[in-house]
Amino acid sequence: MTTLAHFQILASLLFAIGLFGAVTRRNAIIVLLSIEIMFNAANLSLVAFWRYSPHPEQLSGVMFAIFGIAISAAEAAVGLALVIVIYRYYKSIQVDEMRTLKG
Amino acid sequence: MEPTTHIPWIASRLWLIPLLPFLAGGVSALLPRRYRKLSAGLAIGAIGISTLLSFCALAESILRGLQPHAGQQWSAMQTHEVWHWLTEFTWFSYGTTSLKMGFVLDPLTAAMVIMVSFVSMLIFIYSLGYMDRDKNFTRFFTFLSLFAGAMLGLVVANNLLLFFACWELVGLASYLLIGFWYHRPSAAAAAKKAFLVTKLGDIGFFAGLLWLYHATGTLQFYTPDHTGALEQATALAGLPGIMGLSLAGTIALLIFCGAVGKSGQWPLHVWLPDAMEGPTPVSALIHAATMVAAGVFLVARTYPLFQASPQVLTLVAWIGAFTAVMAATIAVAQNDIKRILAYSTVSQLGYMVMGLGVGGMAAAMFHLLMHGFFKALLFLGAGSVIHGCHNEQDVFKMGGVKKHMPLTFWTYIVGTLALAGIFPLAGFWSKDEVLTAAFNWGSGWFHKGPFVLGCIGVFLTAFYMWRQVCLVFLGEYRGDKAKAGHKHVGHEEAETQHETVPGAPHESPTVMTVPLIVLAIFSAFMGFSGLPEHANLIHHFLNPEHAPHNVNWFVIATASALAFAGLGLGHLLYGLKPLAADEPDPLKAKLGKLREFCRDKWYWDEIYEATVVRFANIASVVVDFGDRLLDGATVGLGLLARGLSLINDKFDERAINRCFDGGCGSVRLMGRCFAALQDGRVQSYLRLVAVAAALLAFWFFLK
Amino acid sequence: MDTAFIILSLITVGGAVWAVTLRNLMHAVLSLVLFFFGIAGFFFYLNADFVGWVQILVYVGAVAILAIFAIMLTHNLTAEDEPEFFSLRWLTGLAVAGAVGAVLWFAIKNNTAMSQVAPVGVASNVADIGRKMMTDWVVPFEVVSLLLTAALIGSIVIAMEQISHRK
Repeated sequence: MTTLAHFQILASLLFAIGLFGAVTRRNAIIVLLSIEIMFNAANLSLVAFWRYSPHPEQLSGVMFAIFGIAISAAEAAVGLALVIVIYRYYKSIQVDEMRTLKG
Repeated sequence: MEPTTHIPWIASRLWLIPLLPFLAGGVSALLPRRYRKLSAGLAIGAIGISTLLSFCALAESILRGLQPHAGQQWSAMQTHEVWHWLTEFTWFSYGTTSLKMGFVLDPLTAAMVIMVSFVSMLIFIYSLGYMDRDKNFTRFFTFLSLFAGAMLGLVVANNLLLFFACWELVGLASYLLIGFWYHRPSAAAAAKKAFLVTKLGDIGFFAGLLWLYHATGTLQFYTPDHTGALEQATALAGLPGIMGLSLAGTIALLIFCGAVGKSGQWPLHVWLPDAMEGPTPVSALIHAATMVAAGVFLVARTYPLFQASPQVLTLVAWIGAFTAVMAATIAVAQNDIKRILAYSTVSQLGYMVMGLGVGGMAAAMFHLLMHGFFKALLFLGAGSVIHGCHNEQDVFKMGGVKKHMPLTFWTYIVGTLALAGIFPLAGFWSKDEVLTAAFNWGSGWFHKGPFVLGCIGVFLTAFYMWRQVCLVFLGEYRGDKAKAGHKHVGHEEAETQHETVPGAPHESPTVMTVPLIVLAIFSAFMGFSGLPEHANLIHHFLNPEHAPHNVNWFVIATASALAFAGLGLGHLLYGLKPLAADEPDPLKAKLGKLREFCRDKWYWDEIYEATVVRFANIASVVVDFGDRLLDGATVGLGLLARGLSLINDKFDERAINRCFDGGCGSVRLMGRCFAALQDGRVQSYLRLVAVAAALLAFWFFLK
Repeated sequence: MDTAFIILSLITVGGAVWAVTLRNLMHAVLSLVLFFFGIAGFFFYLNADFVGWVQILVYVGAVAILAIFAIMLTHNLTAEDEPEFFSLRWLTGLAVAGAVGAVLWFAIKNNTAMSQVAPVGVASNVADIGRKMMTDWVVPFEVVSLLLTAALIGSIVIAMEQISHRK
């Protein structure tokens, strides 16, 4: 039988994969998409917790996941708009080249 | 406090006092630049109402103090009882615990809040005249309101976290105001210096705050059921801390770090004189009513913790005494009218800290209150002189100002004598209280040391103040009359300057002289609230548990004699034969190298410069060899930077090299560490965050 | 562990790995779509049907399409200058992600509550979700609606400004 631990391990694995992409890739679009992977991993974890919770009727995990999806959609919209603007400005979307805020 | 006691309305509405200036500041922040009158009106109106409310608070507190204590005969305010009026609210709750905040009205608050709001109000009114021509008038009043609001919030807070928040707001406002003329590089540098140096102390304060919360589970100073953090001080004294101190002592020491930074005690005093770069009303506000008083007030507020640890109190006393004398010697050799006053403030703060250290909390607070009045008076007087002398600040280019500015002169004399501690002005009584407390501290040279240093300080104080008065007000005007009016045209400060007829100094407008007169009256007569022995109202009010000291004629005689000696010597050197223009300082011949040592501020800046630069060199070598062990308080930060730079050095060698090689030579310690972290690449940040989160979580699980 | 779980795991992990490693951006996005479908499958598997449908609509229908548009608008089909496999940058990323993953794994392993099996009869229907959304969760709901509006207007403004500058 599948236990809660299976879901949580899977979610952690997906989160780590997303993190790997976010810190490794140089293309801003892929970095954003990696962050979406991390969002999804978190949502999966939340829904799994809801499924195994002693009070499923409260729907907390589901609600969290829905709000998480809404927020990550907003993030993706703004993020990709920024990518387009950055492309126009730098003629490139390599995240390494965006370093104006160097200390 | 017995639960049946009626809580007066002001005690439950204490939050109005800081809120009003905050609101005024918020509204005028949104106003366009041209609404000058509205903005100033808002600021002054708000602080005016706050002053009224503070007065109500004081009146209620005095009435409460007058109530005869049960089972005890009524006698001149001697209730021998500590009491507070508390209001609490829950900030937020998590799980079963909640974070409470609150306000407290007790004698300490009542005495402090009236001084802060009243002096701030006078300074606000004075600023109307002083900042008259500044094009950022509206912004100035916004910042002033923020400053006063933060300070009042700090005074009424019954919670160390709320206190800390207001404390930091005071720091922010001081940064904004010291750097108000930010287009001058020196002002911008001074603002940065003030901010960073006080932050060094704040690190200690914050660590103390966290530790206190860890140890007691609350940050409320007092609670209705007597479980507040301060009310557990005795319990904390029984627990072990670090370096052989008790836990109470450790926390007190950490909190004292914050006070050292804010109140300009050695070794963190270096920012205070530089803070003179701000407009003069700001200097007055910082030096009298708000910023520096916060540090002393912090120690007074958390005094139970200090009382629980004699070792820390000893350290406090010695730091205070040393600062008092060191700053006084520096003040003797300064030429800038505001710098003399600045070092005088450092010195007087040393007295207060010394007073706290020797167990005279009421005496130190008394001196703080009195100092607030006469130092505000002196700064505003100095501002008036600067204003009248066309932004000249060098006392050797002044002289004979008495003829032109009689009002400023006479009020300045009152302030000077009060500061010097001449009978019967305010400074006489308060300094006498502090010295008596130091005298009674204990026997043996070690315990008499602060008293002796304090007496030397009295002499020096009288000397440098009279030197200043002679140089500024007596003799003939030494400034270049013909050019005086044109001198600063095009100068950065020109925007504050009145377009006056070139030449002789002139008296300041009424809006500036009236605050001077009011402050002079207070400086002259407020001292009578703290007569020695049983008539010592302030002492009974602030510290009813301990009886005040008896009159100590020895201390009074010594201090007065030394003060008169200082005045006399000052008059001998500078008063009898007024200096001519371009004549050198008579001290130069008499003291020689010693004077240079004092003039150059004991080379503290150079020492810090040298250590910081040397540290930078060592660090760069260390970085090059991959062995980055940072010492002292920066070990934690250093290790973090080291771990990160190891990773970065291997994988992103270019960025790290550029940061370290470019940074090491000149950038200071903090800047360098953070510059290394901030390479501008978002992915490095993400990497750092991830590794830090993993480490924290791992540590959490292992624990 | 049952077959459905294994298959869905393979789909999601495979999609995620491809998405973060493939050099062709279009292929990466398509792997990401696969990943999104896998996650939606998990939501159905966990009886959270509504979340599953939202997942498909929002991620596959909106986010993935947006990403494809962004790729086309930036004329950038293959990612250049991407780190080689087993380059230093690549290994750092692996180490960082590994560290975070290890900590999470450690936390899960040490928690006894994790070994329970799924209770039966747990389901979420849309009516319940709607009722909750309008009662207990109404404040977050309103806040999120504001946020979405702001994001919508914000994205338009960000992209518009540059266009008007170029004219």
